[in-house]
Amino acid sequence: MRLPLLVSAGVVLLALLPCPPCRALLSRGPVPGARQAPQLPQALDFFQPPPQPQQPQQPQARPVLLRMGEEYFLRLGNLNKGPAAPLSPASLPLAGSSGSRLSPDEVTANFFRALLQQLLLLRRPLDSSAGPTERGTESALGGRQEAPERERRSEEPPISLDLTFHLLREVLEMARAEQLAQQAHSNRKLMEIIGK
Amino acid sequence: MASMSPSFKLQCHFILIFLVALRGESRYLELREAVDHDPFLLFGSNLKRELAEEQLYRRALRCLDMLSLQGQFTFTADRPQLHCAVFFIGEPEEFITIHYDLVSIDCQGGDFLKVFDGWILKGEKFPSSQDHPLPTTERYIDFCESGLSRRSIRSSQNVAMIFFRIHEPGNGFTITITTNPNLFPCNVMSQTPNGRFTLVVPHQHRNCSFSIIYPVVIKISDLTLGHLNGLQLKKPSAGCGAKGDFVELLGGAGLDPSKMMTLADLCYPFHGPAQMKIGCDNTVVRMVSSGKHINRVTFEYRQLEPYELENPNGNSIQEFCLPAL
Repeated sequence: MRLPLLVSAGVVLLALLPCPPCRALLSRGPVPGARQAPQLPQALDFFQPPPQPQQPQQPQARPVLLRMGEEYFLRLGNLNKGPAAPLSPASLPLAGSSGSRLSPDEVTANFFRALLQQLLLLRRPLDSSAGPTERGTESALGGRQEAPERERRSEEPPISLDLTFHLLREVLEMARAEQLAQQAHSNRKLMEIIGK
Repeated sequence: MASMSPSFKLQCHFILIFLVALRGESRYLELREAVDHDPFLLFGSNLKRELAEEQLYRRALRCLDMLSLQGQFTFTADRPQLHCAVFFIGEPEEFITIHYDLVSIDCQGGDFLKVFDGWILKGEKFPSSQDHPLPTTERYIDFCESGLSRRSIRSSQNVAMIFFRIHEPGNGFTITITTNPNLFPCNVMSQTPNGRFTLVVPHQHRNCSFSIIYPVVIKISDLTLGHLNGLQLKKPSAGCGAKGDFVELLGGAGLDPSKMMTLADLCYPFHGPAQMKIGCDNTVVRMVSSGKHINRVTFEYRQLEPYELENPNGNSIQEFCLPAL
């Protein structure tokens, strides 16, 4: 008689204990041979052995390494040109210059798509226009390919981004506009709650 | 009850059943009315909690993006994205905290996700190496190396950025951006081309920079190098030859204040406005402090209009870096 009573009490206690809040899982890498989407994360073992690459890496024009003093940084632009060529505002479908009526989201998406295309176009294939410095760094890069992945990653120089001040200001102003819009939305929600 | 007609009895039974069924709902209505008339509702923590949960801003990140507000942001690669960066900028008196909620990248396959404490553009950093408390190598926090040990990363100033490369479509990450107050902002990047700021360095041996990435007219209205009550120092700071405490105005085309041109330096306290037109892409007010004094400088700035470039000598305003527009 006592045993069922104790079991029932234990079950009730377990049911009443507060549950820890659910937390998002931090995954280390993809499951071998399967595609993953961040919206359906898989609980991977953090110490899972690194999966072998299933497909050969596609040939990509590698960015150029440049050493200055004790600092390494990875440039996206062409070294021969120095800083990346500034993008002309006319080439970008900004809201002010565009004749068609686009929504703010579409304008923003178009802007960033064009910006990214321009940045990618600035990168030249190393084998076609490499200068002496670039050939030297390319050969150094080629020699490192056989090194373990972890050593290559640890030796990678700090990276930076080639972006003109004009574009930086544009994205800054877009961020400001987004912040103001969100603030207006929050104020509207607050007024709705207060007004109930 | 015995004298009641059957129809009346039926109606009474129906009413009783109806009241029993609505008992819970009516209680809910009563509670709602009490809440509506509660004058302290606005000061309750429940309302704040509800608002905070509803107001968590969420959106998708782009490969090249800038964020100036708090929220949760997700990047999902639809194709190999090899050169991506996201800039973060907060108010001058805020730190930025980046929290990894979910990361799904293939570090062994060449993916990376790195946080940089500051901004770096074309190899030039803000704050500069001279003004930042950490060496350059420690300003990069690589997720592939640190992993869970550095899940939340706080910046040292109001700007930060992340670099990432993702080869496999479908991979990505989710981060939450929050801000924390900074009582004595040291290195600041202005969000706007117009504004006013007071830079205070209280007994700290450090160099602080305020950067404005626009051509501006800057007006310094108050400079205190010493005690806050404005008394002159018995012995003025030993000159502006990179000695003692002083303020310098820098202008240039890059982000790094250490690589910019010194346009003016101020070694002695004053209260009158000193105005200067600087047509450079980047204008920096930099304060060098020995830590012996409480130093303060107040300045206003506004963006240069194109017509102002056509009158360079008006109002004895000196101009530099022109033509920049």
